[in-house]
Amino acid sequence: MAHADTTHAPPAHPPADHPPAHEEETTTGINHRKLLMWVFLGSDCLFFGSLIATYMVYRGQSIVGPYPKDIIDVPITTISTFVLLMSSFAMVMGVAAARNGNQKRLVQWLVLTIILGSIFIGFQVYEFNLFRVEGLRYETNLFSSTFFTLTGFHGAHVTLGIFWLICLAIIAARNPAGRPSHLDVDIAGLYWHFVDIVWIVIFTLLYLIGGFDGPPDAGHAAVQGWNWVTGLIS
Amino acid sequence: MSANPGQEGVMAHDEHAAHEDAGISRFFFGRVPEGVHGGLKQYGLLAIFLAIITLIEFLIIVPEGLQGSGVVIAPLVILSVIKFFCVVAFFMHLKFENPLLWQIFVAGLALGLVVALALVLLFGVFRPTPRAFSEPRIEPFVHHAEDHHAEVARPLPDELPPPADPADLVPVPAPGVTAGASPGQALFVGTAACASCHTIQGVAQGVLGPPLDGIASAAGNRISGYSAEDYIRESIVEPDAYTAGTADGLSQDYQEGLMSATMAGIALSDEDVEALVEYLLSLR
Repeated sequence: MAHADTTHAPPAHPPADHPPAHEEETTTGINHRKLLMWVFLGSDCLFFGSLIATYMVYRGQSIVGPYPKDIIDVPITTISTFVLLMSSFAMVMGVAAARNGNQKRLVQWLVLTIILGSIFIGFQVYEFNLFRVEGLRYETNLFSSTFFTLTGFHGAHVTLGIFWLICLAIIAARNPAGRPSHLDVDIAGLYWHFVDIVWIVIFTLLYLIGGFDGPPDAGHAAVQGWNWVTGLIS
Repeated sequence: MSANPGQEGVMAHDEHAAHEDAGISRFFFGRVPEGVHGGLKQYGLLAIFLAIITLIEFLIIVPEGLQGSGVVIAPLVILSVIKFFCVVAFFMHLKFENPLLWQIFVAGLALGLVVALALVLLFGVFRPTPRAFSEPRIEPFVHHAEDHHAEVARPLPDELPPPADPADLVPVPAPGVTAGASPGQALFVGTAACASCHTIQGVAQGVLGPPLDGIASAAGNRISGYSAEDYIRESIVEPDAYTAGTADGLSQDYQEGLMSATMAGIALSDEDVEALVEYLLSLR
């Protein structure tokens, strides 16, 4: 972490007695790393938007089971959704602790976030495994392919976030004097909350609304809705 | 969202304001300067609020009549949008940031929504009527039976042989086999059409059913209490009684009901059956 600062470069690592937040002047007034994270999150909206759209397009068109109504467990997923939500709360408290320069609290909140995130991933591992055993494999039907792709990529995001937070927690625990900076934690927090909001959307669309889907002509509301819209257009 | 992002200048100088406690109502509803943050009070309240919304979402779909009903879609979407923007505005403190960040994020979000909407409209809603020339190529939608559940673990080829006309069944004799080596073998590759689905080295090369090499040795072990002869006879006369699979040491499970459906159009006399049994019993 030690840098040999030249005279012209702005101090990349401000002294530890200052809250090392927004270090340098930029044309936008926004720290470059923060801006980068928000641009990335905006682009990740596109990424997940495409995967969610793919799921919605193929929704209710699987001609072999298991269908969502056979296999989706809404109560369990409600619990894991709650867990992820609480991890967001722990994360934001960690960011607040980092802002106040309270390294000890920061480590505690980060560890809690990591634990809650890992519990969420544990739920997902259980769910995927159960689905597989119950005959829903990746290639089984349109539902399974789109479901596993979408939730799998989300799970990968969460897993990456857990590793990121573990790194931050280790750094914070080892070196209570200045690192990680408030901004380091803040940016990791942005990523973590983003993963949470993606799950908010997935939970609503795939579980609460789509979790009771059956075969195509089961008279499902969504199919009726499509037919209604199609009727309007044609 | 309206302020000019360039005006904000250097945030570092506002750093002192960052430690100001905004108070609950000002934090959530007031116009607060950039850099204001909440603490346990504000974030805890928001976490409880979000948890309650999640609980309400769950309770909405508890009544079975509402599960999968179109009525619940609007309230569920509205609730999740509220959650979404609460997390973005407060947990991600976008409310207290330079408006440029809102614009960047909302631009990405809007693009994502437009792409999603376009995909759903293209593939989910607009269904053009095929023109006349393409009619021979249109594949009718065939709805499989609801009770497909059990078979899903091992997807099978879609083109199950039609259970109709035995004349359509083309036996697959191995090269060089002449019908008539024995009456049973002649039936096997000939009118009984066994060779369409079963393999016997040097005789037939069908793949849809289990291979029958050495069946005389294996048959006695399939069902306890059955002799090899009993088992083979039953397997011909009543194929659904037992379907061989991996449990019998075969490389795959075979589809139940396929043989009875295939054989439905093939009439075998008692003598034919006995000839087949005798032939198969010779395969040790």
